[in-house]
Amino acid sequence: MRVEPVAVDYSMWKLLAWTGPVFFIGFFCMWGLLADNFPPMAANTSPQDMWQHYKDLRIPIMVGMSVCMVLGSCYMAFGAAVSRVMRRIEGPEGMLSNLEMMGATITYCPIVVACGIWLVTAMQIDVLSPDMVQTAYYVAWMIIDLAYMVTSWQIIAAAVVFLRDKREKKLVPSWVSWWGFVTVASFFPVSLIPFFKTGPFAFNGLFNFWVAFPTWYVWIVSMSFFIIKAVRRIEIEDGAAQHADSAVHGHAPMAAAR
Amino acid sequence: MRRWRPHAEQVVTVVTKPQAAPLRRLPGVEGIWVFVAADMAMFAILFVSFMQGRLAEPALFEASRQTLDVNFGGINTLILLTSSWLVALGVVAVRQGRAERLPALLAAALACGLAFMVSKAIEYGGKLAAGITMLTNDFYMFYFTLTGIHLFHVTAGNVVLVVLWVKARNGAFTQDNCVTLECGATYWHMVDLLWIMLFPLLYLLR
Repeated sequence: MRVEPVAVDYSMWKLLAWTGPVFFIGFFCMWGLLADNFPPMAANTSPQDMWQHYKDLRIPIMVGMSVCMVLGSCYMAFGAAVSRVMRRIEGPEGMLSNLEMMGATITYCPIVVACGIWLVTAMQIDVLSPDMVQTAYYVAWMIIDLAYMVTSWQIIAAAVVFLRDKREKKLVPSWVSWWGFVTVASFFPVSLIPFFKTGPFAFNGLFNFWVAFPTWYVWIVSMSFFIIKAVRRIEIEDGAAQHADSAVHGHAPMAAAR
Repeated sequence: MRRWRPHAEQVVTVVTKPQAAPLRRLPGVEGIWVFVAADMAMFAILFVSFMQGRLAEPALFEASRQTLDVNFGGINTLILLTSSWLVALGVVAVRQGRAERLPALLAAALACGLAFMVSKAIEYGGKLAAGITMLTNDFYMFYFTLTGIHLFHVTAGNVVLVVLWVKARNGAFTQDNCVTLECGATYWHMVDLLWIMLFPLLYLLR
């Protein structure tokens, strides 16, 4: 039985690629600006001051975290778009595109759990003791930060595949892949956050917040930009290949299936 | 994929032209230099943090510094410099068409890398046995974290050296194909350079 090739839905692919910018813009505004996490409340803040912080910012934190729990899923959708572009390079049997998609998907889990904890802390502030607020605040930070290795696998997989791209002009430039390795390297000191409440290795510290997070953000923004461009390029490549094929075999162009 | 192919007359032109001096090029690929620059910038941020801490508590930092064994630091410096030199010799050997020397040079460089790890383990063991941890005070926080992050780089570098050694034994590197070797060597030199900055900062600076 002859199996007809299935048409590639470029529109859906483009839509998923655009979820990257939705994630990073939305998270920046809702988590960072609205919920007042630039800079985040310091790890050495007293329980009473933490309680007051949540009391004062109850509604902004609730709105910000609620939206982040929804928008965080865009990271997963974006990972699916990146994975599909990677598959064009490593082929259908490649495992790294799967690893990238799983990494992006599981990265959403600590995001949604941590935002959920911050949300409930704000929601229940009137019935929580200051010590409970502090504990909840720490729990969320430990979860969102120390899950970095899952994201690292995602970034490493993407970097390796895009570096292997044989195109004269790669779909994703090499510097983005190398920046991915930098991002992974910047993540490892995050393992120190349980041990320090002040200094560069606290979760709000110079290194573990102001270096590690922006480094990851640069990767997300640059990867989003080039994935959106890559989908357009792949669509053009497929179109050219179909025309070449129809010119050789003398039949009408048909939808590409890869 | 379309590739540029020279026409016959262009080839003739190239051949008949007088030999120009070979163009200088960046060793390895551009990306490794992006990585090196960014990684060193991160270390620079940590060095600045250390100096800020030192300015805030000069007496504590000086008293803690004096508990470090300068001999360990000095020996580790020599080990890494030797290792870096051996890798550089390997790259030069390949460029000069003597790739058969590379596996032995890389093996020796790897031995130095492993020796550094052993030395560091002994040094850490001594500190921990004396009840000193990264939570003891801010100096030791920087001592353990900076040298620990560096040790992580050394470990990764040793893995790179193993990969290069296996490739070298299989004859993967030639005069015309040594970009991967150059990338690995560049990374290893960066690890060496970072230690050369760490050693005086932690062990010698009064």
